[in-house]
Amino acid sequence: MAVTDTAAPDRETDSDTAARWVSLAGVVFRTVLSVAVTILGLLALTFFIGRLLPLDPVLAILGDDASQEAYDRMYVSLGLDQPLWRQFLTYIVNSLTFDFGTSLTSGRPVTEDILRVFPATLELATVAMILGTGLGIPLGVTAAANRDTWIDQTVRVVSLIGYSAPIFWLGLLGLTVFYAGLGWVGAPGRIDIVYQYDLQPVTGLYLVDSLLAGRWDIFQDVFSRIVLPASILAYGAMAYIARMTRSFMLEQFGQEYITAARAKGATRRQVIWSHAFPNIAVQLVTVVALSYAFLLEGAVLTETVFAWPGFGRYLTTALLRADMNAVLGCTLIVGLIFIALNLASDIFYRVFDPRTR
Amino acid sequence: MTDLPGSPPQSTLRGWLEAPGATSPGQARAQAAWRSWQRLVANKAALAGLIVLLALIFLAVFGPALTPYDPMAQNLSERLLPPSGAHPFGTDDLGRDIMTRILYGARITLMMAALVAVIAGPIGLIVGATAGYLGGWTDIVAMRVVDIFLSFPSLILALAFVAALGPGIENAVIAIALSAWPPIARLARAEALTVRKSDYIAAARIQGASRFRLILRHVMPVCLPSVVIRITLNMAGIILTAAGLGFLGLGAQPPSPEWGAMLASGRQFMLTSWWLAAIPGAAIMVVSLAFNLLGDGLRDVLDPRDD
Amino acid sequence: MKISARTGLAAAAIVAATGAWAETPPDTMVMARNIDAISTFDPAQIGEVVTNEIIQNTCDSLVSTDPADEAGVVPALAKSWKVSDDGLKITFDLVQGATFPSGNPVTAADVAWSMQRVLKLGFGNAATLTEYGFSADGAEEQFVAVDDHTFEMNLSRPYPSGLILQAIASNRVANVLDKALLEGEAVENDYGNKYLTTHTACVGPYQLRQWNAGEVVILEANEGYYGDAPKIKRWIIRHVAEAQAQRLLLEQGDIDVARDLGAEDLRDLSENPDIKVESTPLHQLYYMGFNSAEPEFEDDRVRLAFKYLVDYDGLADTVMKYLGVPRASVVPIGAFGALNEEEGQPFKLDLDKAKELITEAGYPDGFTARLFVGTLPYVAPIAQHVQENAAKIGITLNIEQMANAQLFSAFRGRDFDTIMLSWQTSVPHAHGMLSRHAVNPDNSADSGLSMYPTWRASWFSEDFNRRVDEALFEKDEAKQIEMYHQIQKDHMEHGPFAYMFQLLDTAAMRQNVTNWPWNAFRVYYADVEKG
Repeated sequence: MAVTDTAAPDRETDSDTAARWVSLAGVVFRTVLSVAVTILGLLALTFFIGRLLPLDPVLAILGDDASQEAYDRMYVSLGLDQPLWRQFLTYIVNSLTFDFGTSLTSGRPVTEDILRVFPATLELATVAMILGTGLGIPLGVTAAANRDTWIDQTVRVVSLIGYSAPIFWLGLLGLTVFYAGLGWVGAPGRIDIVYQYDLQPVTGLYLVDSLLAGRWDIFQDVFSRIVLPASILAYGAMAYIARMTRSFMLEQFGQEYITAARAKGATRRQVIWSHAFPNIAVQLVTVVALSYAFLLEGAVLTETVFAWPGFGRYLTTALLRADMNAVLGCTLIVGLIFIALNLASDIFYRVFDPRTR
Repeated sequence: MTDLPGSPPQSTLRGWLEAPGATSPGQARAQAAWRSWQRLVANKAALAGLIVLLALIFLAVFGPALTPYDPMAQNLSERLLPPSGAHPFGTDDLGRDIMTRILYGARITLMMAALVAVIAGPIGLIVGATAGYLGGWTDIVAMRVVDIFLSFPSLILALAFVAALGPGIENAVIAIALSAWPPIARLARAEALTVRKSDYIAAARIQGASRFRLILRHVMPVCLPSVVIRITLNMAGIILTAAGLGFLGLGAQPPSPEWGAMLASGRQFMLTSWWLAAIPGAAIMVVSLAFNLLGDGLRDVLDPRDD
Repeated sequence: MKISARTGLAAAAIVAATGAWAETPPDTMVMARNIDAISTFDPAQIGEVVTNEIIQNTCDSLVSTDPADEAGVVPALAKSWKVSDDGLKITFDLVQGATFPSGNPVTAADVAWSMQRVLKLGFGNAATLTEYGFSADGAEEQFVAVDDHTFEMNLSRPYPSGLILQAIASNRVANVLDKALLEGEAVENDYGNKYLTTHTACVGPYQLRQWNAGEVVILEANEGYYGDAPKIKRWIIRHVAEAQAQRLLLEQGDIDVARDLGAEDLRDLSENPDIKVESTPLHQLYYMGFNSAEPEFEDDRVRLAFKYLVDYDGLADTVMKYLGVPRASVVPIGAFGALNEEEGQPFKLDLDKAKELITEAGYPDGFTARLFVGTLPYVAPIAQHVQENAAKIGITLNIEQMANAQLFSAFRGRDFDTIMLSWQTSVPHAHGMLSRHAVNPDNSADSGLSMYPTWRASWFSEDFNRRVDEALFEKDEAKQIEMYHQIQKDHMEHGPFAYMFQLLDTAAMRQNVTNWPWNAFRVYYADVEKG
């Protein structure tokens, strides 16, 4: 939950209520326009940040020992001698066609690199979200139903601990206990080296690929390795989801229809799950979507500790090694994922939320 | 709360605060605050958070007087000593007393928290309240800017600023604050939207209040509670983010006893001398938890949705 | 992922799944290492230690470092060589029958082309050649294929042939590449540079099978290798950035070797009966650099004072245990002409002496300076150690930790006050270090000689330039050694840098790794054995 793993609660969608009254075409037009403007702004910010970094891509390519002439030649061949506006224009045009150039540090096209590292993060984030949602929602509901009792307080403290512990510390602790000590989980890394060649990547998600190949043994290996890092990421997500669920449920409990349902003799369980819960489902989807978007940025600290060749690690390494093409490409992808999930949850909200219909 | 001008003296302060009817606006406000306070105190977890934070402030102020050691004094012959009577939290890889460093580090942690609150809070509040109140183009532009910042990977943003400004805890905090204001702006905007059409704003406007004055005196105060809650909840994130930057070598610079930096440099000893990482790790966790519990409690108390 | 040995592995996999099996396959070495630094496999471009080690085991040069004596060379693709009487021409006789994996035969034309391309591409490695008078313009005359199996190297001055063999013929700049293949793969006249970022096209005991950046490097034994067949079929170098994770993996037997462990973990592991710890000194020095363009550091005495601010033995027993040994001479132990251990490290922690020196230099109250350092684990403690001692004599050092890319930029750009980093030479000869750390051909900013650390430090001495050159061409060996000794002693007093440690390469491995042959310049993968 350090660096990339904390801000989940910061991201909230807000449905602009005024927009509902505009015609559908208007909504679509405005949405497209605002997404386009956001993407353009994101491109500009990315470019600006790239310029701001005091890292030298020329040295990153040539090596510390290069002569000044070689340096000057590479400077020109990278287009760094061009006026800034022209470099920006080139960057925009290339980005819009998903051509981020060649990674200076892996020698491959950045797009290819991203396609390779992203599934690792996607798989980890997905398992974490399943765990986080599966635990977070029931905990939140339970806490709300038992408001201000010891149950509520326990849920509060336990989930907030998950939110307060430095993640790489938790990760190393987890490895020491569950891998080295108890042997319950697999080693750091995505897959055992003996399987490394054996699994033909189809989706790049090893859990899925191993099942597609009908290899139960590989699935077990992959699962034993993903479960710990995913749990640690899930702990943070769970805390957030549980807190939000509790808050949403309490809001429902205060409404008159719940009082009415109680008066009609509905059981406690019915009140919670049949009456109140369906009404918060839409809000929860937004919360879950945003936590998910957040995990997809890649949790660099978790990935470092667990030797996970994912997106966060790739991006950070690129940044520390002055691999500007990779940094700009990754940043844009993260931005697009965020914009897309934000948009999707916004649309979902408008379509399904009973209050906005 | 002992000196409230314009209020008739009651037999006791408590009686005054709990009187069934307020006789002055001052008393009404004081009573509301008192009720919130009581609800907060009733929430044991939040109270625990508050106590921990007060203790942190106490340690930040008086901590250095409580230890005989110098937080920077190295002694290679006393390195990596496990916790003992002389060194309750042990010593680090350069033989420095860890408890002393933790005590001195409390001040840094508190400074980080304050800096972020001072930078991110006002920026978010002003942008959000202005956008929400004015609406129209101001709103559209401001919210797109917020969107852009939100969709930018927070790590890269922080790293970029740190790289540009130079490493160091102050710059790290500024960088983190710069990436922390957009969500606050969103929140403030949402609050501002709810009040912009309200009667009392309209009344103030009819009385001829300028836009600036309206936003400053009438809209912002409404947004303030939720912003304060958000900042409190963010504190944990700030401390952890700073620790994460330390993990990447970009946080506080040696020999600063900043907790995140201590944790980061202690991690290479996790399997050999556990206390180097465990002590600052636990300190970070306790303070983060305290901030979270307090923020969570404040939300329960101040967020009208829960009632 | 086209793997020939798939079926064998599948069988191993089934075994793995059936039991609590925590051992690596017998024909495979699994090594954990931080491989973030790898960015290309083009020998002309490689600048990183990690990649260099891999390329040495995948691409043979003309000659190789002798496994038994790191100061000697043994034949590789050149089976023999002779030096002309005037010392200006070295003629190499190439082995017959060696072929590239593509099937093309290895010829002298490949050798000449490979070395010429290093100069023409002009990456940092070109400096290895230009330092000895080779140039991009004269490359065709300097590297000549006489016939298919005879290659000539024409020197501009009669450099000692032993030095040329060590510095050039055994270096990666003399890696013999598959000319025909690479000319076919060339893009925009890049001599196949782009192709080589992810491939190898050369002959060596292993070939690069796969490289996934930040994940894994897989090497497979080269079936048609002209030399002895490697004992291990496959090397899997797994990227594990976190040293603690490396240790856990090693203890559990999930890897055979861990390469990036810290001092304390190594100390613990050396007591583990399943694991052994092995070290070899590198020709790599960890040092502190000073910007002589600044008035404080222009004075020799200030720079000298810093050498009295380090508790060398104290650090060597603690922070640097297994990682380095104290060394104050510019020439590492093991190199030709090096001062012995005692003479090469005459300094000890002496605050009074240091204070006296800065007072004489006119800074009785000290001064304030920035200290730039990288992010390796041992760097922060050393920096803080020096910082604390400097503070005791009134000098305030403000530490700034930064990523290596940024650190190198600052150093090259002369934008620093003081800096800590390491320098590695590939030559076991005093000249290897002195040619860069004592010589500065032209100190002007315009000359842009940023490959010289001396230039970066704005330090220039006509006297050292001349003496290093004279020593190099001295024919009387005893006299030459004496000259080198004197240069080192004077360099200690007046040089631009404060050397602190000669670094060690230390690996922890499972006991079943029965043979791990290595020295300062190479790890011989092909000779590694597993029981």
